[in-house]
Amino acid sequence: MTTLTKNTILPPSTHAFADVIHRLEAGGSMLPDTPENLMQIIGIYKAYAVPMDFYWRDLLYIAERVFLNPLRFFKYFLPQEYLDFPNHYAGETADLRIWRGEASAHPELLEFIEKGNTTKMPKLFHHLWHDRINMEFAEACMQAMLWHGRDMGMGKFDAYLDTEEYKANADKAIRAYFKGNPPMLALYKLFPDLFLEQVKELSYYSNLGLFWEVMAPVFFEMSDIYDEGGFKGVPDAMNFLVNGIFAIAGRPIYHHVYIGDECFEIIPKSKGFTWLYEAALPYVEAVFYRTAPFRGTKSYNAQAKQVPEEQKDFHYGILYADVFPVGTAGIPPTLLMDDMLHFLPPYLIEYYQKHCRGEDDMLVQLGITFQRSMYNVTSAVIQALRTALLYPLDDPNPRHLAKNRQFFEAQMDRFLRPEARLKDIQTDRYR
Amino acid sequence: MPNIVEIAVANDQFSTLVTAVTAAGLVDVLQSPGPFTVFAPTDAAFAKLPPGTITTLVQNIPQLARILTYHVVPGKFTQADLSHLSSIDSVEGSPITIDCTEAFEVKNATVIMADIEADNGIIHVIDNVILMG
Repeated sequence: MTTLTKNTILPPSTHAFADVIHRLEAGGSMLPDTPENLMQIIGIYKAYAVPMDFYWRDLLYIAERVFLNPLRFFKYFLPQEYLDFPNHYAGETADLRIWRGEASAHPELLEFIEKGNTTKMPKLFHHLWHDRINMEFAEACMQAMLWHGRDMGMGKFDAYLDTEEYKANADKAIRAYFKGNPPMLALYKLFPDLFLEQVKELSYYSNLGLFWEVMAPVFFEMSDIYDEGGFKGVPDAMNFLVNGIFAIAGRPIYHHVYIGDECFEIIPKSKGFTWLYEAALPYVEAVFYRTAPFRGTKSYNAQAKQVPEEQKDFHYGILYADVFPVGTAGIPPTLLMDDMLHFLPPYLIEYYQKHCRGEDDMLVQLGITFQRSMYNVTSAVIQALRTALLYPLDDPNPRHLAKNRQFFEAQMDRFLRPEARLKDIQTDRYR
Repeated sequence: MPNIVEIAVANDQFSTLVTAVTAAGLVDVLQSPGPFTVFAPTDAAFAKLPPGTITTLVQNIPQLARILTYHVVPGKFTQADLSHLSSIDSVEGSPITIDCTEAFEVKNATVIMADIEADNGIIHVIDNVILMG
């Protein structure tokens, strides 16, 4: 385990989560530092990274090539070109090499695309038999970002989608795409916003694809480092994420569309949009904290007032989710849990077999592990924000330390509501 | 009197900043009449950034330019002017918080040398690279 040094300058916090705050102040994670926790979160990062390697490629494929196709039957059928597409942060050709592995699609993913859980057969049959990656999950995350849009994070992405400049760029691409298709062009003339809204959604496909293009190699590398015995504890794993966030913070977020041989820059790289502000922070807010109420747990009945009126009060992200009903109707994360199930490392399968109902409830067990791991990722985001906007943990100035404390307390306030799982993940009885 | 760029070039603790400003193509802007108030991070401030951050930014010039323009405020503001304010809008568009209660602090950086007069504005030297948000 990593040893953490406690600050002795400030008096102890009186917050309900004082223990967690003191741990954060000592450079730790919201997730307690135990070897079991470390093993779980790294194992699940690996299992998550493989489907994520598919998600980001397909999201970019849809944003760049499928574009406004009104009949998107084959949008989940990735062409070879996108499977070979070199990840910008892995392999020999990387802009900044995060994962030492290869830049094209992960071998385990390619094997799954070929054989699935059944046997080798044409892609279409795998799809119809539902022996495939649940790409709908990635789209649901994208929609959460689109719908929560404007007031999240500190980014300028969503505001740009409403500018005349964006509309003009989109207009050019829409006309080029439907060139030689008079009915669609006539429809566009009648209802221009119908298509513009679609393009905005596609810009979010691109945004999320570019976000995950970074996270997949980060998780692969963490898994490799762990296998080599490189992480001493949970804080090490968190710090690797913090460094990754900073290293990639300035990567551009853009939306390019390819029609025929031509590239249309709907959101050009020159707008200066960055991975940290325009993708990562909005993603964390939209997906980790907010999303939308699960159809299977909340009533959307307006009289029942179960769903908040204001989007900022939404609390249905993974940090609040009740994972126990995973696998039943109306619980969207089931899609992701099922995807991760195919790629679990052997040590995690062995671990689940020894607990609860063994093989039978593995989906629920891995879901809870995933929740722990996302608390660690969120801790990394909180520490990264503290590093970027506030003060070092060993700052000698008590006024600076008090500001750090205030920031940590404000972050923990979001977990005071009863649905939050922060309290649960503090013990290993929650599984 | 020398302008903002000339002062930075002449001072060897701004070599990273000068390289970055040159790479981002902002030299002409900072040599224009302005006036501007520039919060200039020293080489030591840039060195505090985690590894990789600068590599990625140098590969992506518009993104680098955005971070740099966050360090620039339109108009000429001395420490005395800024001490009356709680925040001021940068050229990038996001506000920079100002705190003069104990020391002269902008965002999470402390000004280590204030009020360096230039022909087209004023420079305050800071000990941290500041970031939006």
